[in-house]
Amino acid sequence: MNAPLLEVRDLNKAFGNVVTAKNLNFILARGVLTSVIGPNGAGKSTLINILTGFIPPDSGEILFQGRSITDEPIARRVRQGLCRSFQVANVFGHLSLFENIAIPVLAVYRKAANFLRSVARDDEVRREVDKILERIGLLSQSHVPASALSHGDRRLLEVGIALAAKPKLLFLDEPTAGMNPVERTRILQNIRDLSAEGEVTFVIVEHDMDVVFSLSERVIVLYRGHIIGDGTPEQVKTNPQVREVYLGEEVA
Amino acid sequence: MLESLVHVCLAGISAGMFIWLVASGLTLIFGVLRVLNFAHGSFYMLGAYFCYTCLKFLGIDFWLGIIVGPLAVCAVGYVIERWLLRQVYDLELSYQLLLTFALVLICDELVKIIWGAGSIGSPTVPGLSGSVRIAGRNFPVYNLFIMAVGPLVALGLWAFLEKSWWGRIIRAAASDREMAAAIGVRVPTLYTAVFVFGAWLSAVGGALAVPYVGLLTTGMGEGIIINAFVVVVIGGLGSLKGAFLGALFIGLLNSFGTRYIPALDMFLTFILMGVVLLWRPQGFFAGVDR
Amino acid sequence: MNRHWKYLIAALVLAVLIAIGYFSGRFVLYITMKIMILSIFAMGYNILFGRTGLLSFGHAAFYGTGAYGVALCSLHVHTHPILGILAGIVAAALLALIIGFFCVRHTEIYFAMLTLAFGMMVFSLMWNLRDITGGDDGLSGIVRGSISLGFWKISLMKDSQFYYLVLFFFALTVFLVDRMYRSPFGLVLAGIRENHVRTEFSGLGVKRYRLAAFVVSGAFAGLAGALGLLLESNVTPFSAHWSHSANPVLVSLMGGLQTFTGPIVGSVVFVLLREFIQRFTQNWMLWFGLILLAIILGFRGGIVGSTSQLLKKFAK
Repeated sequence: MNAPLLEVRDLNKAFGNVVTAKNLNFILARGVLTSVIGPNGAGKSTLINILTGFIPPDSGEILFQGRSITDEPIARRVRQGLCRSFQVANVFGHLSLFENIAIPVLAVYRKAANFLRSVARDDEVRREVDKILERIGLLSQSHVPASALSHGDRRLLEVGIALAAKPKLLFLDEPTAGMNPVERTRILQNIRDLSAEGEVTFVIVEHDMDVVFSLSERVIVLYRGHIIGDGTPEQVKTNPQVREVYLGEEVA
Repeated sequence: MLESLVHVCLAGISAGMFIWLVASGLTLIFGVLRVLNFAHGSFYMLGAYFCYTCLKFLGIDFWLGIIVGPLAVCAVGYVIERWLLRQVYDLELSYQLLLTFALVLICDELVKIIWGAGSIGSPTVPGLSGSVRIAGRNFPVYNLFIMAVGPLVALGLWAFLEKSWWGRIIRAAASDREMAAAIGVRVPTLYTAVFVFGAWLSAVGGALAVPYVGLLTTGMGEGIIINAFVVVVIGGLGSLKGAFLGALFIGLLNSFGTRYIPALDMFLTFILMGVVLLWRPQGFFAGVDR
Repeated sequence: MNRHWKYLIAALVLAVLIAIGYFSGRFVLYITMKIMILSIFAMGYNILFGRTGLLSFGHAAFYGTGAYGVALCSLHVHTHPILGILAGIVAAALLALIIGFFCVRHTEIYFAMLTLAFGMMVFSLMWNLRDITGGDDGLSGIVRGSISLGFWKISLMKDSQFYYLVLFFFALTVFLVDRMYRSPFGLVLAGIRENHVRTEFSGLGVKRYRLAAFVVSGAFAGLAGALGLLLESNVTPFSAHWSHSANPVLVSLMGGLQTFTGPIVGSVVFVLLREFIQRFTQNWMLWFGLILLAIILGFRGGIVGSTSQLLKKFAK
């Protein structure tokens, strides 16, 4: 396929006086692990919300794999391979870990509408769910309800649910927030491995600069709805505008 | 032809004013407490029955009855909010809805027990009885009175909410209760006050309805709350302007329906509701977020 | 509770029910049938309320539609009971599809209001369309036709015979609802209740599933209504009134919202309680409201919910 994975054209979004996207134009290529950074209020979460269909843009176009998805509902976009994880762990609280992962898996396998078969007896689903749980290191807690997990484990589950939908493009909204070093290492290793496997393209919104610069091949810097920096981590680090607006604020 | 049209309109507007009184309280309570009070029609009914009791058994005159009756309902509303509703604010929404629904069932039965299940004839109001000749036909003076009361209440509410200090607090609490609490508003007390005030509005509607309907029935509450629901769906839950205009509209629609297509009765209003739901799901004047 | 115990208990209950059909007098048969019919209504309703998290105040409309469906089929088409029951179910499901379409795009407060309003719309239609529905007198004198299987005719005229038909549908409902809860569909519904945003982001159109749950619960309500009509031989618009819509809610709450057996246990308690209270007073609805109030304020786990919590405490 020649079309880029994601193309954004002239995207605009404002909440009253607060401009979160102003004539945004950019392209995401397959397989390039990208980070989106920017000071708070720069519009990073809003951008994810718009691209994934949670809120509509004021104007502009979004093309996924060459097809316009600007008007498509969330579930449609997910089924085509555009997915996200949430900043605050957004899991199915009273359901077990197995069930949490099973829901997107069932959607992927197109078995979700079936109302007579038993989920527990479905070997195909069970194998896939176990595989994902093992990947994020939570297989041993498969029968635990999600609300009983520790904070870090819940964040892992959060990413696990997003991965279970077998996305082609996955937006991770601050995946390491609130994690301890052990958990952080595990999740980053997972992201690195999965990215290397080539099936999922990750776009990470992050505040932790170590994560950003160690992991990403490309960094996009958002400030008040504009892209003020876009390139390799080295390029962005040395970009004077970025330094002044963002890194400069950190240093100061 | 024209005369009947004029009278259908007049009847519709009068009927709409009662719906407005109930819908206004419902909207206020929702706006501030975020609770949909199913029992609001019951407050209307209680207002009517209490007022009737005052007139019939205590020999009080109508104008006093309109004050005493609704006050009694305020007492009921106070008890409900303070001891029942308050317990469920922290629970899931479903339980709050079910609580007010349970109250409807209880209220309806209590009215049947106390006043009997049949309907009761209601007295006329001295001073406002008789009719006026409009467009070639007689129109009750009392209905004209009602048609004046409705907009007066609307104006009063608007002035209260926009201009007075209390009104500002209510609006603040409606849009952000945590912030209001943070600046020192005693939120629980405010909730009780708003709930009682809303109940009072509805009860006044009921008391005023006593001479209008001619017949009190235990189905009064049910009829009016359904209309009020349709009104807030159309006008937008949380918008007083929407409630007023919606009530006017529904009153007129019901009136036209009864006159020209009696077989369908309330079906017209439901069709309208369905259309609005498809076209503008939030209602036309969606005020506060729902 | 593992699976084998569950099957054992189910088999036992079935045996008891069959025995009741064989040995009991008319009154016990009647009560048991009422319980089973209410269970069907409540189990279907709980798919929507307990499982999917949608509180509908208008489900009596589907019950009533099921009843009128059978009645009209019996009066104008054929008295075959299965045909009538199917007519009732289909009518109720279609109505649920239409009403659900308007309602499921909203949640919680709007959903509650709309279901109540549409439910009462159906009530007023039943009241006003005198020529079809008999108005406030309703339809009566509906005869239970016999089921003919080739040359073998099964008469249902006697209650003791009709009982087994009700039992059949009760068992069928239990079976279907159980399978549904274990199925992918059932899991998605639970996901929608827990976190509908996440469900949407898992690639599942939440509105569609909600509508499906609505229609399914409406269909079961229709089945219950159809059986109810055949039991009582008459129907009035009041079977679609909102006060009747509260029945499955109270039953589910009494039994325990998130449990499978809750609606069944709740139905038993409800019917027996109502029979008892109606011996002493005309004002059953008052007690109904008070019981509902009490449960909301203090016993939200319901009987099954509280019992299992108690058992867990003892097990420790």
